[in-house]
Amino acid sequence: MSQTERQPTELTLRGQRATGEGALRGVRGVGSLYVHVPFCFHKCHYCDFYSFVDSRDRQGVFLERLKAELGVLAGHAGALRTVFVGGGTPSLLRAELWEDLLGWLRERFAFGEGCEFTVECNPETVTPELMGVLAAGGVNRVSVGAQSFDRRHLATLERWHEPENVGRALAMARDAGIERRSLDLIFAIPGQTLGEWERDLETALGLPVDHLSCYALTYEPNTAMTKRLERGEFAGADEDLEADMYERTVEMLGSAGFERYEVSNFARSGMACAHNMVYWRGEEWLAAGPSGSAHAGGQRWKNVPHLTEWMDGVARSGGYSPIVDYEGQDALRALCERIMLGLRLGEGLDAEDLQRRAASLGVWEAVRMRIEAHRRSGMLTDERERVRLSGRGFLFADGIASDLMIAAQEKTPG
Amino acid sequence: MARSGYDRCSRPSEKPVGVFGCVIGASGAVIVTINPASIMQIRNFSIIAHIDHGKSTLADRLLQSTHAVSDREAREQFLDDMDLERERGITIKASAVTVKHMVDGEEFMLNFIDTPGHVDFSYEVSRALKACEGAVLVVDSTQGVEAQTVANAYLAIGQDLQLIPVVNKIDLPAAQPDEVAMEIEQILGLPAEDCIYCSAKTGEGIDELLNRICRDLPGPRPPETDKLRALIFDSHYDDYRGVVVYIRVFDGRLRVGDKIRMMGSGRTYFCTELGKYTPKPTKVAEMGPGETGYLIASIKTLADVRVGDTVTQDSNPAAKALEGYEEPKQMVFCDFYPSTTEGKGNSFEELRDAMERLALNDASFTYQPVHSEALGFGFRCGFLGLLHMDIIQERLEREGGVEVVQTAPTVTYQLELTSGEVLEVHNPADLPDPSTWRELKEPIVRTEIIVPREYVGDIMALCMARRGVFKSQTALSETRQMLTWEIPLAEIIYDFYDKLKSMTRGYATMDYEIIGFNPERLAKVDILINGAPVEALSFIAYRDTADKRARGLLVKLKKEIDRHQFEIPLQAAIGGKVIARETIKAMRKNVTAKCYGGDVSRKRKLLDKQKKGKAKMKSIGSVEVPQEAFMAVLDTGE
Ligand SMILES: Nc1nc2c(ncn2[C@@H]2O[C@H](COP(=O)(O)OP(=O)(O)O)[C@@H](O)[C@H]2O)c(=O)[nH]1
Ligand code: SF4
Ligand SMILES: [Mg+2]
Repeated sequence: MSQTERQPTELTLRGQRATGEGALRGVRGVGSLYVHVPFCFHKCHYCDFYSFVDSRDRQGVFLERLKAELGVLAGHAGALRTVFVGGGTPSLLRAELWEDLLGWLRERFAFGEGCEFTVECNPETVTPELMGVLAAGGVNRVSVGAQSFDRRHLATLERWHEPENVGRALAMARDAGIERRSLDLIFAIPGQTLGEWERDLETALGLPVDHLSCYALTYEPNTAMTKRLERGEFAGADEDLEADMYERTVEMLGSAGFERYEVSNFARSGMACAHNMVYWRGEEWLAAGPSGSAHAGGQRWKNVPHLTEWMDGVARSGGYSPIVDYEGQDALRALCERIMLGLRLGEGLDAEDLQRRAASLGVWEAVRMRIEAHRRSGMLTDERERVRLSGRGFLFADGIASDLMIAAQEKTPG
Repeated sequence: MARSGYDRCSRPSEKPVGVFGCVIGASGAVIVTINPASIMQIRNFSIIAHIDHGKSTLADRLLQSTHAVSDREAREQFLDDMDLERERGITIKASAVTVKHMVDGEEFMLNFIDTPGHVDFSYEVSRALKACEGAVLVVDSTQGVEAQTVANAYLAIGQDLQLIPVVNKIDLPAAQPDEVAMEIEQILGLPAEDCIYCSAKTGEGIDELLNRICRDLPGPRPPETDKLRALIFDSHYDDYRGVVVYIRVFDGRLRVGDKIRMMGSGRTYFCTELGKYTPKPTKVAEMGPGETGYLIASIKTLADVRVGDTVTQDSNPAAKALEGYEEPKQMVFCDFYPSTTEGKGNSFEELRDAMERLALNDASFTYQPVHSEALGFGFRCGFLGLLHMDIIQERLEREGGVEVVQTAPTVTYQLELTSGEVLEVHNPADLPDPSTWRELKEPIVRTEIIVPREYVGDIMALCMARRGVFKSQTALSETRQMLTWEIPLAEIIYDFYDKLKSMTRGYATMDYEIIGFNPERLAKVDILINGAPVEALSFIAYRDTADKRARGLLVKLKKEIDRHQFEIPLQAAIGGKVIARETIKAMRKNVTAKCYGGDVSRKRKLLDKQKKGKAKMKSIGSVEVPQEAFMAVLDTGE
């Protein structure tokens, strides 16, 4: 599978892309930072992240460029409240590079009190040494990709790791003093039964974790998994089974003290991932590394998802990455995003904030009518101060979000 | 330019071609000299064949052998002029071509008419045959006699034409000319020894064929009157020249400048141009008995010309028109709607323009505006048959630049009301309340199917299952049989032909002809979605098998309609009585699993798209029904 870097998708005039410089102008005091490490030792078949197997060992150069970019971003950041290093497989970076990176971050950025600092890990790559380095550098949260504890299902996903290594990795993190630990799990894998998924959940609950992300397998475009599905190698999970699995997840995790705070994310009290909440609440963050997406100053943009192009661009422009998919300030877009993201949260949307945004666009009446309709049908709770999905509503979040978005985009009469 | 001065002898240095010599005069106008042809020297004939047996290739070879087309100019299938025809290898428009041939120092004017080979166009074959005294019947020596060979030969024999059987493609290693000649004798009664063996590819046998055409085919009958009588046997619309009418003069003479009258319609015109295709259009000053050519008379639309009508002189009219032939009847109907995908070529207005333009070119399809609750404004169109329908759809899209949605074909039913009045019904939705009518009749066809012997049993079973009535079985040869059945047209417009082909590994051929209407146990089946009847989905079916068809339809509908937040019953009913039902279960879940920081834009666009998709759906009984559901349901498959 895609062992090579993906091809760039957009070109701008004279072969030069715009860089993040323009977008960052005027951006100040951002409290969250995402760092993307694109390397993996094998490409999982369901994965649509920008990641690839690096046969040329460019970790050293990558880190140099990353530091250059972070150096620039530091000028736009305030005291950091959350940092998230994702990928790819960040734990694949060699320990001495990690030491270098963490030192650099400490040197350039101000870290706020109790800053949440997460690193994504593949169970196969976790070592006591690495965990020690991370902990010493201020990392206080790891997110381990487990996906399944069943070898058969891991094989279907082309996910290369030994199930036992998940527990081992978490133990190493704990022993190194990394206090918060999360697992990623996938359900509705072809051939998976409800019973098997329940066993995976039980296994996960038996491990030292305070947070679980449970995703229904999604067939993203341009992934091997989707091609295999289209070829008829296997059938997608039945909708009823998938719904049963999801409902069972909410139940089992709920009774184990894990609250659903987002459609697919569950945490013990106070252990919700603060960094992800920044995304979902529509707050600001900066991003470094190829394919990293940022949201600041009402704009969204993405670093070019191509290692060489990103490295060359950063080198050429003194730290600014070439960017793609830029979206400027737009109150309607922002409103739609608030609806789409906020509805996915356990806390829902702040009704006042929603009303203010919608009213300024002259669409509050239309939106309010749809909200009322969904309250009547029991999809939204009756709380006045929040626009919040009911337990049943969570199963239909997309439909409701899309419905409210239609209302928000309706032309106001006159 | 060839566009305005149709008649182009653009390279004066070139040798004149065909019967006519032409030179460019000082004014640039073309002056045509004609070698007056005596009646005895004229031969009017058609070439008829089963599709792909080599009719067009043979026509080309004849043009080449008579030097009407120089070798350098010769391109394949000169007579098929539309792109579409070329691509599908079928000839849609009959064209009359005039060439000359010398036999033993005697000069013959040969007028030949290329005919379509397909069943749907048998009316065009008949038209062409009306203008002929003979026909060349081409049979592929590697295939043998096929269904359309038989159907076309019958048409020719029925009109008392003299036939010259030609066994073609003898250059191929698989050729079995003797066996095929025996088949021709067996089934059509033409002596095997009369067959000419030829290869339209290598030219072998072509000279013999030309000689036989001159020697064996009868010349035109002597004139019965000196008043003009010319049969209109075809017409087409030319973007630059307007309506071009093909005529065969039987009696009298026609000259450029004459005021002519169409005896059927009574319309009069001035004849502005006469000519012949040699095969280049070449003007002539006049045409006499036995001759074939084209006529231009500033006729605006094809609708003003009735093929089969007789042209006479307005000032000196003939007393009686020539015997015409029956207008083709549209037996297969379907609706075309503009596609709802946004973009160019997808509006009702564009579709209407394309329809109007196409109708200028093809007078044999009909259209009238309709409105469907599900699909909006569109047109209900009538066709001669299924292939005709496919061709029109393709031409609309290709030449008209529109994108269309096509509903399943239905047939014309005859409805006898209690008042005794008889109505034609092309659309199940038009069927009035059952209490107001006495009988519903459906069209019946006689079909000839030719198959290898080992498949006879399967084909018999297929025809039985389609409510067929067995008529006869004839051996063509040791290995092949011809079966004759009478079957309701409604049963063959679905997948009959495909079934026939797949059951016989492609070996079977069939042709059919409508022979009448039979009263049958027919009923209108209503489809209800969530309790609401959907007219666009109703259909007329044979009572005894209606529930099976209804169930199949509901299953398809179920696949096409997304689950909703509530359960949706799907029902099929005859006169209020439910004969089949299915249920679409309530949707359980509609939520994207993953939405992280880098996903926001993409996910937002996805939801937006979901919303746009919704806007295109038709809401029926609070159920969102996608347009595809109507299409898939109406699809012809099982
Ligand atoms: N080998 C060979 N091929 C032929 C001959 N006559 C026609 N064909 C081929 O048979 C196919 C059908 O011929 P065409 O003239 O289009 O058939 P039509 O459908 O009857 O007009 C074409 O591919 C021709 O090239 C022949 O005498 N010999
Ligand atoms: S480890 Fe993660 S980023 Fe790497 S290929 Fe697998 S799913 Fe994708
Ligand atoms: Mg042809």
